Amino acid sequence: MKLFTRQRRHMPLVLLGLLLVWTADGEMRPAPTEHWSFQPVTRPIPPTASDREWPRNEVDRFILARLEKEGLKPSPETDRVRWLRRVSFDLVGLPPTPEQVESFVQERRPDAYERVVDELLNSPRYGERWAQHWLDVVRYADTHGFEVNTERPHAWPYRDYVIRAFNRDTPYDRFIREQIVGDALGEDAATGFLITASVLLPGQIGADEVSKRLARQDALDEIVVNLGQTFLGLSVGCARCHDHKFDPISARDYYALQAFVAGVEYEDRDVRTPETEVKRRDEKALEARVAELDRQLAQFVPVARPKTGNARASRAQENVEHFPAVTAKFVRFTIHETSLHPTLGLIEPCVDEFEIFTDEPQPRNVALATHGTKVTASGSRTSDRHKLEHLHDGKYGNGWSWMANSAGRGWVQFELPEPTRLAKVIWSRDREGGFNDRLATAYTLAAGASPDTLQTLVAVPPPRPAVNARVNTDRFAPVKAKRVRFTIRETNNLEPCVDELEVFDPAGTNVALASTGTTVTSSGDTVVAERHELRFLNDGEYGNSRSWMSAERGRGWVVLEFAQERLIDRVIWGRDRKAEFSDRLVTNYVIEVAASSGEWRVVADASDRATQLLGDKAPANPLAGLDADETKPATRLLDEKKTLESELRAGAEGRLAFAGKFRAPDTIHLLNRGDPEQPRDEVVPAVLSVLGSTKLARDTAEQERRRVLADWLASPENPLTARVMVNRLWQGHFGSGLVDTPSDFGRNGTKPSHPELLDWLASEFVRSNWSVKQLHRLLVLSATYRQSSKPGAQATATAQDSEVRLLWRFPPRRLDSEPIRDALLAVSGKLDLKMYGRGFDLFNQRGGLSGFQPVESFRGEGLRRMIYAHKVRREREAVFGAFDCPDAGQSTARRRESTTPIQALNLFNSRFTLEQAEALAARVQAEVGAEVAPQIRRAYQLALSRNPSAAELAEATPIVATHGLPVLGRALFNSNEFLFVP
Amino acid sequence: MNHSAEHLTPHGRHLLNRRGFLNGTATALGSIALTNLLGGDGLLAAPGSLIDPARPYAPRPPHFRAQAKNVIVIFCAGAVSQLETWDYKPELIKWDNQPLPGGPSVTFQGPAGNLARPQYAFRPRGQTGKMVSDLIPHLAELTDDLAFIHSLTSKSNTHGPAENFLSTGFVLDGFPSLGSWISYALGSESQDLPAFVSILDPRGVPQNGSNNWGPGFLPAAFQGTTFSAKDPVRHLAAPGVSAEADRAARSLLQRMNSRHLEQNPSDSKLAARIASYELAARMQLSVPAISDLSTEPAHILKSYGADDTSNPIKAGFAKNCILARRLVERGVRFVQLFNGAYASGGELNWDGHSKLKEQYDKHAAILDQPAAALIRDLRQRGLLEETLVVWCTEFGRMPFFQKGAQGRDHNPDGFTCWLTGAGVKRGVSHGLTDELGQKAIHDLHPLYDLNATILHLLGLDHERLTFEHNGVQRRLTNVEGELIRQILA
Repeated sequence: MKLFTRQRRHMPLVLLGLLLVWTADGEMRPAPTEHWSFQPVTRPIPPTASDREWPRNEVDRFILARLEKEGLKPSPETDRVRWLRRVSFDLVGLPPTPEQVESFVQERRPDAYERVVDELLNSPRYGERWAQHWLDVVRYADTHGFEVNTERPHAWPYRDYVIRAFNRDTPYDRFIREQIVGDALGEDAATGFLITASVLLPGQIGADEVSKRLARQDALDEIVVNLGQTFLGLSVGCARCHDHKFDPISARDYYALQAFVAGVEYEDRDVRTPETEVKRRDEKALEARVAELDRQLAQFVPVARPKTGNARASRAQENVEHFPAVTAKFVRFTIHETSLHPTLGLIEPCVDEFEIFTDEPQPRNVALATHGTKVTASGSRTSDRHKLEHLHDGKYGNGWSWMANSAGRGWVQFELPEPTRLAKVIWSRDREGGFNDRLATAYTLAAGASPDTLQTLVAVPPPRPAVNARVNTDRFAPVKAKRVRFTIRETNNLEPCVDELEVFDPAGTNVALASTGTTVTSSGDTVVAERHELRFLNDGEYGNSRSWMSAERGRGWVVLEFAQERLIDRVIWGRDRKAEFSDRLVTNYVIEVAASSGEWRVVADASDRATQLLGDKAPANPLAGLDADETKPATRLLDEKKTLESELRAGAEGRLAFAGKFRAPDTIHLLNRGDPEQPRDEVVPAVLSVLGSTKLARDTAEQERRRVLADWLASPENPLTARVMVNRLWQGHFGSGLVDTPSDFGRNGTKPSHPELLDWLASEFVRSNWSVKQLHRLLVLSATYRQSSKPGAQATATAQDSEVRLLWRFPPRRLDSEPIRDALLAVSGKLDLKMYGRGFDLFNQRGGLSGFQPVESFRGEGLRRMIYAHKVRREREAVFGAFDCPDAGQSTARRRESTTPIQALNLFNSRFTLEQAEALAARVQAEVGAEVAPQIRRAYQLALSRNPSAAELAEATPIVATHGLPVLGRALFNSNEFLFVP
Repeated sequence: MNHSAEHLTPHGRHLLNRRGFLNGTATALGSIALTNLLGGDGLLAAPGSLIDPARPYAPRPPHFRAQAKNVIVIFCAGAVSQLETWDYKPELIKWDNQPLPGGPSVTFQGPAGNLARPQYAFRPRGQTGKMVSDLIPHLAELTDDLAFIHSLTSKSNTHGPAENFLSTGFVLDGFPSLGSWISYALGSESQDLPAFVSILDPRGVPQNGSNNWGPGFLPAAFQGTTFSAKDPVRHLAAPGVSAEADRAARSLLQRMNSRHLEQNPSDSKLAARIASYELAARMQLSVPAISDLSTEPAHILKSYGADDTSNPIKAGFAKNCILARRLVERGVRFVQLFNGAYASGGELNWDGHSKLKEQYDKHAAILDQPAAALIRDLRQRGLLEETLVVWCTEFGRMPFFQKGAQGRDHNPDGFTCWLTGAGVKRGVSHGLTDELGQKAIHDLHPLYDLNATILHLLGLDHERLTFEHNGVQRRLTNVEGELIRQILA
């Protein structure tokens, strides 16, 4: 590599010691094979230090001997609480609960520490924490990367596999094999490892052959780079263009590694287990039934009401509903739809007061609780401001209102003390005029003698669903037509594009198809050959690549002419039924029909559709707007469909995994300067020549190639494999590894601070059957790990070893982004421990014109641990990403720990923090009541695992009393004590 | 070490003084400890220029005397055609609508069509008489000031990898961007604003999104902060929290942290975090102030076209240009100013595959006047003496149209960018493409060279600006990069 020849004089000072040896050799030549990490792992005898009391296990003997040699002493033991917090964050990534703290402090049994460690290692939370470290190294993400960065929807089975493997303590050699050749070992998802990198999808690679060859080389390179740095701690990728100039890795070695994986494609693969095979058979029947239900449901689409629109428009401040007088004991108000919140979209409806008036000269409000009326609701989201009883307390304003617990819908029902003659209802969102979000815009008011006999008094039907990019149905009364005209008046942007325009007769036959003799004309076309052409409008094929695009921006028309007059009752059209595109979407249109002789007549248009675009999301209530006759059977069908679909979903979870397709391997050539256009001689699979001589014949089968590679990597004889892994584990507990370049054990990496200890651990790791959990036990139960993190009196130690590489104290460190978020949720009581499956979204919108818009307010699945977030490559999470969270572009063997003002802004001001501070306040109130001092105490216990001092209590009390408890939570979540592993 | 506590509040100063680690007499060992705070390898080549974690944006000395203090990069996303702008090819007029003998039959997007003449008239400009297109009349007036490089090449013909290559020196994802490297190396003159600001086009995010301003494996402190005249920095203020409650939380936090620091007096990370909250508090004031263009006089708004109500996108881009000037005025080290958004069939950026002329008419109207006004304004204020302005795009376009279309396909083999301002020769054209403008034939410069030259003008040696990542001393220029000396003043 040119790099190293030219810049060696500029290497950082730390590396100079190493480099001098090398530069003394003079010019370039293959690096020597005597480098320490290429030598066999030895098993040194743990040294005996003069202090025989301090060591608790072998680890400590190595550490202490070195400290004594340097004239240093270990620090005193830290207290139980700090140790518990440390080991909890380290092993499970969460703080201990106050109850765990209390019980550990009280525990008198001699094996108290061991018990804690076993409990933590047995917790499923352990795998969730340690899988993250692994995923950092292999740069796992749920998107494909590069400019389009589209979703990789089946990546997560690999993430789940890693979590399970850590939880099961899969022996590390087995873990390696599964990730390379899991298809032969009953672990299909594990080979996701091979293809975790960014990749250009077929459509994103140039159409020319040169581009295709380069893209394939890049894809193979990523696999080899991943194998090298993850398992061997070697930067083999450097040898793609030239022989590695530091390490004894030739370009031939590099391409020989490529040959092992030359049959791997970046694609989904079926995951086959006995369970999935059974499910697959059941599924066929379910799918057939869902298709039948879809066919039936297609009939139940609200009829278009062109130009009549939604006459009623509710107002936030007051709505007076008059109706012919009726005698009733029950009054029910059902909300079908609400106004959208400007940033949060469809959220829970809110009503501040609901008044029911008698049919009297001086009407009285009989809804009031004081009148003896009771109220129930579909569900309520309760807080200080929002309570169900606020609905009829006679007090106006947002502060005295009811909020439903479901987005966009909900109902309330009043039971009067006795049947009463009623004539008017007044309801409002906020009578004081402060709020107009969460306003019911479509609703039904009904009353009757009993809940079963309610009659509708007022009905404000919801608009038909807004157009969406996938598919839209316009239904109308059956009409005879020779021609159908679809006129576009507006799009969300650019020239409109329609992938298919279908017209159905009442029997459900698509009469628009060109194959039925229907012809199509248009106002003008933007033609991209074989992609956008007029003939694709009615060719029966869906998707952007078989679509019609108008010549004009924002407008255009098409006319379908049938071979003969047809009776028709619906038009179905979409932008892209394959759901890849949502631009160029028709948002305003009119559909007209004309009989053989006759004028154009409007049958449907967009005037009665909701105007807010929902993107790909299904409407909240797909049956809204149907008349009563149709609602009942449709609801039945829909319910059945939902049940079947959720069964199917559950069955399909994890069925496909982005875990590689394996095919006949490419022939691999040595490439001059890494250029696919300059192939030299063919290369067969072979292990790195410095580490072995295994070589395969050119006709070796694909899977066999990977098996041999896995065996070589997972061998106890491989000098790097165990050393690299124990070093990663060490780093996870002490902040930096014994080798502090964890993915570089080559000559450019640093030397181990404790070479004998590293070898002892590596040999111990293999000896204990590659048990990762056993290694954790060794480390966290050591005296080394139990030390205080305070430098105390050891001023000379600070001067001598400021980086604490010799571990004369425990090196404290800031929490990583995931534990910060998880800990906030754990402390606030909101953490959802649901494991596995598809990730929750950190962004409202993926890619496109406005980029990735972060979710600001999380609920439901969004409150799961962050490892279950749908990881978007290159887009850091909006709040916690700034805490050096890797973006999965390149491998991250060790996270930085930087400090930035953006971190401060995010953690101090984000909605996430504020909401968790509110939740913590609610939790604390629920747990200890309304008194301030116990509240503060409890908040400290939850967040910091301790009680506040008298001074802290005195300091916080007036602030909490004046500004409320959330202020304390916000400060605690931002405090250094909370954010550091002690 | 050059550190000062003058920017901190008395409270923060008190804490830091107690700590003593920022008292100006730090020992060499203390400095090493500080370096370690950035992960153990936050090292710079120049000895002594270590990064103080409490002030990651503190100015740091370059490797050698810098010509430029600050940089504005005008980044035209989507690949601007060199043939319609700066690279005059009269032969193309002659061969208009003829097939290119021996030319490729298939290029990036599909079958190649016939050669196509430049879609705009060219005329000689200024003293140099260089031919520049009528597409960009305002920028063309500045021809005498610009240093053109006509022979740039990219390693990819695909927007994503190619924007990666332009911004990070690698086609793959995950490497640090130019602005991150520069703010990592040099910090910033401004202590109230981020060192590296990315201003997004009013039409949306550029093709390759945040990879253009990502820190890769550098510390997160050196990531570009995105805002524009239209969209503020995220999380600048807590929504729905009263000023009193905000102050109360802040003071409670300060007391918690100072007590904790007293109990853990040796840990400089803790003091760094406290300082970061103080910088954040300053940003809460300084960012809205700098984004508020109401203090700009009417004639300035007019000269940029920021008052052009007939073209709101142009007005929006013009405001971004004014914001860019205000940022470098305040000492922000690196400003990335995007012109053009995401792939959209050439509607929202310069990716003119099918209707090149029709689309370029619109795009140029947005770019031209505001960008030219920015350069003039910088010059008039004397800022161009210390500011480097770079105009760039990820690759160029083919001399022939695509089959059946009125636009040009991707061409990474020869395209044009230009520089002006501090340290740059005026009115010079360097490098050459063939007579049809398809491939660079003289003085070829892969984009590495452009980045090496930008670093050089800032006093940085691209071979010495390194960062260890997984066993490799990584550079912006990988193992390549030669200075383009011909354009240096």
